[in-house]
Amino acid sequence: MIAVQLPGLLMKKPSIPLGLVFSQSGPYAMMAGEMRKSALMAVDEINESDAFDFVFAPHLRDPGGVVAGYHTACADLIREVQVDHIVGCYTSASRKQVIPIVERTERLLWHPARYEGFESSDNVIYVGAAPNQHVVPLVRHMLDHISGDVFCIGSNYIWTWEMNRVIREIVTSAGGRILAERLLELGETAVDHIVKEIIERKPPVVFNTLVGESSYAFMRALHAAATRADLSIPMLSCSLCEPELKLIGSAASVGCVTSSAYFESIDGPENRAFVARWKARHGRDSDPCVDGLSTYVCVMLLARAIRRAGSADVAAVRRAAANHRYDSPQGPIWVDPDNNHCFLTPRLARSVPGCQFKIFWEADAPERPDPYLLNLDLTAIGTGTQKSNDAMTKRSNHLRVVK
Amino acid sequence: MTRPSPFSVRGRRALMVMRDEREIAIMRRQLNRLGMTILEHDPAEVPPDETVDVVVMDADTIPIKSDLAAAWKTGAPIIALIGTETPSRLKWLLDLQPASFLIKPLRSAGLYTALVVAFDAAQRRVDEAAHIERLEDRIRSRRVVFAAVLKIMRGHGLAEADAFTLIRQTAMRHRTTIEQLSADIIAVGGMPNRTTRTA
Repeated sequence: MIAVQLPGLLMKKPSIPLGLVFSQSGPYAMMAGEMRKSALMAVDEINESDAFDFVFAPHLRDPGGVVAGYHTACADLIREVQVDHIVGCYTSASRKQVIPIVERTERLLWHPARYEGFESSDNVIYVGAAPNQHVVPLVRHMLDHISGDVFCIGSNYIWTWEMNRVIREIVTSAGGRILAERLLELGETAVDHIVKEIIERKPPVVFNTLVGESSYAFMRALHAAATRADLSIPMLSCSLCEPELKLIGSAASVGCVTSSAYFESIDGPENRAFVARWKARHGRDSDPCVDGLSTYVCVMLLARAIRRAGSADVAAVRRAAANHRYDSPQGPIWVDPDNNHCFLTPRLARSVPGCQFKIFWEADAPERPDPYLLNLDLTAIGTGTQKSNDAMTKRSNHLRVVK
Repeated sequence: MTRPSPFSVRGRRALMVMRDEREIAIMRRQLNRLGMTILEHDPAEVPPDETVDVVVMDADTIPIKSDLAAAWKTGAPIIALIGTETPSRLKWLLDLQPASFLIKPLRSAGLYTALVVAFDAAQRRVDEAAHIERLEDRIRSRRVVFAAVLKIMRGHGLAEADAFTLIRQTAMRHRTTIEQLSADIIAVGGMPNRTTRTA
């Protein structure tokens, strides 16, 4: 694309339409709102930057949390606005609505959210973590440092079903046990019966794959009940993020071991600068979160691929995005052309007072995405090769050494 | 009884258990084009009592952990419509033993193949079940055959192999099964005195 030089200092850059599809109402409107804010922040940064010789013209669509609305929104963006690229979708159900139309019309969907895996479309760039990058490191940590006997609670839909399957596969192969698998309907906040069961049975650890209000209600209720009973039951999550800690409340949100590719507390010049820009834009009390950051990274990866390709053409952008490293706030990230998912760095953190996370582990290098868990080596997990000092004493007797 | 060919789909009854309006429209249109009778059913409801020839079920509309899943296990062959390919969902699907499947989103092509494969698989399942029942009958009557062989060995002073050969040949002459003749031998205490040669 050729920038048109105008007389004087003003240089008019060509404009590239960009579809942004986030629900502003419905059950996950809070997270989608964070994603929308982050996308617009990235668009403004690109548009104000001298490093890019084009601007994005964002076209916002709001499917209102209705699954069929995603197809309608994307069909409209593609046919009426003629976008080549769409950033958006939060749930797997919404992504699966959009895939047919982006495949049929040869467009690209840049998908920010972590998900359960077992998908790989040529017309989706998966920027969120794949299961080997979120649930696997967390289960490994649980087996090595907490217990092999786990109580699972989650929301009754695909995310929990598949997380529980992976947890069960790894845990049982390491000789541990699934003590219970309790499911709540999406949005359900009546959690007392499960909290009561947990207090009575005192499991060594609780794996929480609840989402949204269900999770907040559960964490508050369990914290209150455990405090009364003078119990401390460790909790694990693959999805908790900073804005949610605030919603749960400072006391009840503390102590959850969480797996994520991004925490606000990541130490590094890119992230410190990003957090400063975020707070300047959204206020001192506002905190970025993994899904928002991932959406920001989607727009940045796209912009850099367009710049490298010299065009917004889908095939050219897909080629240019492949293996093109971006030093993002969450660390180096690049697209693996084998499966269109991203190399990124898994991290484990503990939620601490002040609604923040303290990171205690991160991978040595960005990890190759494995959406089908083809390289999951069950014999190498739960053998206790990476024990911390107190691991031996805390470790369950039920674990056997698998060699 | 002549069996319907799996290729003949006209007039057969299909039960649609789907939720997505767009896909329901495609399915209705294609089933109509194939001359099939269509019944529709809400995935959230328990399976109906109606007898149908095939169930077209959107697997993603039924929660994995629900009583509804088990309720669909018996009856007509199932064509599963698949969106999510996670092992947790597929394991649930395997328990239903789908006769064939289609990947969502649906297109106009593919349904006829899925129907033919489903009808063929269902017929094979019926045939195999009947075959297995016959084999199990024979296993059950093995004790009777063994007792009859012993009786003939004693009564005729024969070795086991010769006693069995005699029973087999007599059964062939009488146009009956070894199992039936053995039961007769036990009943009358020796080789039945049947002279009727039908051969």
